[in-house]
Amino acid sequence: MKTAISTDLIRGHTDAIILNLLRQGDSYGYDLYKKIAMLSDHQYELKEATLYTAFRRLEQEGYIVSYWGDETQGSRRKYYRITDEGKVHYQKRVQDWDVAKEILEKLIKGGLCDE
Amino acid sequence: MSKKNRRMEKRVEEYIEKLFSHVGESQQLFDLKEELATNMKEKIADYLSQGMDEEQAFKETIASMGDLSGLVEDMRQLGQDQAKQAVYSTMTARISTAGIVAGVLLILFGAFTASMLYFMDLPAVEVTSNGIFIVAGGALLTYSLLTRETAKKYAMNKIRAALFALSVGLLLFSLFTGMITRFATGETYAAIASTMVFFLTGAGLFLYLTLTGTQRRKT
Repeated sequence: MKTAISTDLIRGHTDAIILNLLRQGDSYGYDLYKKIAMLSDHQYELKEATLYTAFRRLEQEGYIVSYWGDETQGSRRKYYRITDEGKVHYQKRVQDWDVAKEILEKLIKGGLCDE
Repeated sequence: MSKKNRRMEKRVEEYIEKLFSHVGESQQLFDLKEELATNMKEKIADYLSQGMDEEQAFKETIASMGDLSGLVEDMRQLGQDQAKQAVYSTMTARISTAGIVAGVLLILFGAFTASMLYFMDLPAVEVTSNGIFIVAGGALLTYSLLTRETAKKYAMNKIRAALFALSVGLLLFSLFTGMITRFATGETYAAIASTMVFFLTGAGLFLYLTLTGTQRRKT
């Protein structure tokens, strides 16, 4: 799988992506990794290092909490769940994105003497 | 198949151990290792079931992890902090225990000698002069109690605790000087005057400290 979108472009949005998936249900590292690939139609692969770093940060900020699964076979999975604060933060990120999207569109494509 | 899986699992565990080999132990590191291992094993198992060979599956999995150096550094700092913290808290706990014992002994010593002198029918000034031990003991006890970490509260920082001790010391000292002056001069107004100076300083400091306190309760 190739990464078809630049890492620089997506970096600031990792948190919003994770929160978006977690608000649709609890999940663990590899599962989220697969969901992100699927959601992007395999156009984007989030490196797991980025994922785990984001987990740690989001947990410290109180947007997600973690708990260990009770798998009977093999090793335990560490699941993450979004908190109410996380949901609020996610909504804010969505609003920010809507604004940023329009401004970026203007900045990248627009011209001052474009009439 | 299961033999193959077990061999791969062992490889993953070795890889992770090596990755964090120079990192100090902490609960977070222990958890992160298990989390990483579980997810990597599951990914490898997926690759194998898709028909990928072992070597390829392992390499793909490692590559998809990306740059883990940030996480390793995070864990390294955590491990260091915890080692430092453990030493720090046992050292301060010991100092604080010693301080409590010494403080209580000083107070008792002051009280005992004062009562001894009192029953020796010595002048009141000499009886009360032993109160200085109680002043010192009170200040030391305050400092030691505040710098002690308990099950419910974190230790107060040393400078703040020292200021608290100073304010308690000043309050006790004001009473002490008051009594000494009263017995030495026989004048109550002089006693009040000398008490006032230290009492006001001590009370002011104490009030300031109580009002600016930070939350030390453990959550």
